[in-house]
Amino acid sequence: MESSAASSSGPSVPALQITELVKRYPTGVEALKGVSLEIADGEFFGLLGPNGAGKSTLIHCSTGLAGPTSGEIRIFGHDAVNDYREAREAVGLAPQELNIDWFLTVEETLDFHGGYFGMNKKDRKERVDELLESFSLVEKRNDRTRDLSGGMKRRVILARALMHRPRLLILDEPTAGVDVELRLELWHYVQQVNSEGTTILLTTHYLEEAEQLCSRIAFINGGEIVDHGSSEDLAERFGVGSLEDAYLELVGRKELSRAHVGAEPESESEDSF
Amino acid sequence: MVRLASLTRREVNRFLKIPRQTVGAPLLETFLYISIFGAALGSRVGDLHGYEYIVFVIPGLIMMAFAINSFTNNSSSILQQKFQGAIDDQLSSPASPGQLLLAFTLGGFLRGLLISVVTFIVASLLVDLPVKHFYILIPALFLVGWFFSSLGVLVGVRAEQFDDVSFAQTFILQPLIFLGGVFYSASLLPEPYQTLTHFNPVYYMISLVRYGFLGVADIRIWIALVVLTAATAALTYANYRMFKSGYKLRR
Repeated sequence: MESSAASSSGPSVPALQITELVKRYPTGVEALKGVSLEIADGEFFGLLGPNGAGKSTLIHCSTGLAGPTSGEIRIFGHDAVNDYREAREAVGLAPQELNIDWFLTVEETLDFHGGYFGMNKKDRKERVDELLESFSLVEKRNDRTRDLSGGMKRRVILARALMHRPRLLILDEPTAGVDVELRLELWHYVQQVNSEGTTILLTTHYLEEAEQLCSRIAFINGGEIVDHGSSEDLAERFGVGSLEDAYLELVGRKELSRAHVGAEPESESEDSF
Repeated sequence: MVRLASLTRREVNRFLKIPRQTVGAPLLETFLYISIFGAALGSRVGDLHGYEYIVFVIPGLIMMAFAINSFTNNSSSILQQKFQGAIDDQLSSPASPGQLLLAFTLGGFLRGLLISVVTFIVASLLVDLPVKHFYILIPALFLVGWFFSSLGVLVGVRAEQFDDVSFAQTFILQPLIFLGGVFYSASLLPEPYQTLTHFNPVYYMISLVRYGFLGVADIRIWIALVVLTAATAALTYANYRMFKSGYKLRR
């Protein structure tokens, strides 16, 4: 694509390159057992897996919220541990939990975040105005985040992640527990951001979401990447009708397939109409 | 520099937002002490080290306000941000462990400073409060504030619930401060309490601050300064190691 070729400088360095990443917690739990993963610049990448598969751990290791036990993480070529400054500057994180400070206003939340990333006052001001506008938060500017609705808080978290203009946006289950309207709204936002050149790593439980948004998908289960490819690719390779069936096969729960739900005699008679 | 300034601004912003609790309450508390011990009981106590009791007690109260507010601010702020998960915003930023530590420490330090300065100004209007050794007083108060700010950071990072913080405050901090000689001169105590007091670090802090204001002390000033500097530096270093390793902050 011409646009992506113009935006990337030189031969494209992967946005995220994870090699043999192992994370063992002090409790002895091995959350990641040697994960390798590469996300190209400009990609919209989906990471799917059941609860406890290691999705959040992978994200925590990539953003400095957890230290890897072994292995390597490079973000646009910068080592996430040794060159953490450059690596973290390139990443925006919208975590799963609504982790905003109740005492701060919407504007302060964004402004402080920009400051932590070294943006000067004038730049912060401009960027805050821009984000409040695009996330329809202008009227909430001076409201304390504690007084916002759940949906508004979600938007603030996404705006905060974008505040310092990251090249890689990491979305950890952004639509878990949100209503249909907000989910679609968020989809539009992130698609827009991706089309402007930002690489996106999305984790989700919703296969429909991954199918809709992601150009490439990886399945993670029990701390290991069990497969990856485009969604059609995966469905085709597994010889099943949908990504969901491929997923169920990979996590060893084939019996849960929707093909078996409501597969009773009467449904057959419906088919004959 | 922008990073450190923003991190610090966030900490200051927090306590300025809830001023009733973080500035009003401690000021009221300090002035209640002054009223009770100075005005009400003072006339019965008589002079101590040649000073009216109310004048004798004010340096200790200023030190106590600095210490308790620095400690409380940092332990509460850090624990609360850990609870909310909001601290991840700072932790996933490019800020270095040193910048994070400095900002968290400064938050409580500045709140303690604000309250002790206001207390000093108001106390000076009420009584004739001398400042005998300015060049001892400033480093002494600085060390007291930095020590307790750092202690607040340590307790806040290690704490897992609010009970941990209030335990440290009620069962460790308050007894040390009250028994360190805020309200009396340790030389008035009978043995073995007088000797025991010498094992309380707060005793040296109070002696230094009182010496700065009133020019009286029953300990060697330079030794106290050196010991307090060493203790504060050691605590700061321990905190730095903790932030660098990510203990109880990063997963």
